[in-house]
Amino acid sequence: MTTTFENLGEGDTIDGPKFEVSRESIRLFCDGSLDYNPLHLDDEYMKGSFGKTNFGGIIMHGMNNFGLITRMITDWAYPAGAIHRRLETRWVKPVKPGDTIQPTGIVKSKQVTANSRWVLIDVMVKNQAGEKVATGEAMVEFPS
Amino acid sequence: MAQAEAFETDFWKHANLRKVWDDIVPGEPRKTIPYTLTRDAIELYCASVGEDHPIYFDEAYAKTTRYGGLIAPPSIHILLMFACTPADDWMRSPGTVNAGQSWSYNIPARPGDVIRLEARALDKFIKRERLFVVHDNVFFNQQGDVICSGRGWTIRPE
Repeated sequence: MTTTFENLGEGDTIDGPKFEVSRESIRLFCDGSLDYNPLHLDDEYMKGSFGKTNFGGIIMHGMNNFGLITRMITDWAYPAGAIHRRLETRWVKPVKPGDTIQPTGIVKSKQVTANSRWVLIDVMVKNQAGEKVATGEAMVEFPS
Repeated sequence: MAQAEAFETDFWKHANLRKVWDDIVPGEPRKTIPYTLTRDAIELYCASVGEDHPIYFDEAYAKTTRYGGLIAPPSIHILLMFACTPADDWMRSPGTVNAGQSWSYNIPARPGDVIRLEARALDKFIKRERLFVVHDNVFFNQQGDVICSGRGWTIRPE
């Protein structure tokens, strides 16, 4: 069934793409984003601690989660004639090479405003152990 | 990779020129540089997150959509944040940990756009012994239209 503002309901789910994280995928994200922070590149540097945190090796860019959630939302919205308008995210657990992550969304509510119609979606990214690595909220416009 | 060749990828190189948490003044504008977004740069970013929608790659298809031509994914601001800032920008300080971001999207960025960033630290605080800075950013195209605006929370290296 085609997704429309009318037929969407609270609790409807959106499955995003599975993404295999590797040293190569992290390196490619460095090139794609121009973010060459040694957190994502330098094993020696990552042996050290950051305040109270020791990551124990390189970690994926938090914004890689953001990019995957965006991909899920836009791939869902474009066929429905809808527009991705907002994404808020928080990283709750580092992601490392060897992890497989997947974003999902759950429709939380719908709202009609003076000039348009909006769907709020709770989003999260989980790793292969089912642990949440990122959470957030998206807002998609369904122009009337 | 032409883009990376023109860009200083060694983030240690200018580390001593960058502001540390103590030096950052909330409200003070950051130095930014205009950036011409290319189709190659969009395609490389798309490859890094597996974006494969034809609206980013297939001009004939893109012309049939509401956008009337190729666009970049909304999340292209991830690239623009680094493309529009100089090497001594504090966002590049090694060990900068991103804690989360929120972005609002107005119109898409497109290949060929000359993109300008207005950015500043908005707030800084200490929480559980960690040094936080909130950054606040707006990207504009060459017509002065807002592409997107967003805010991020970073934990600064000590």
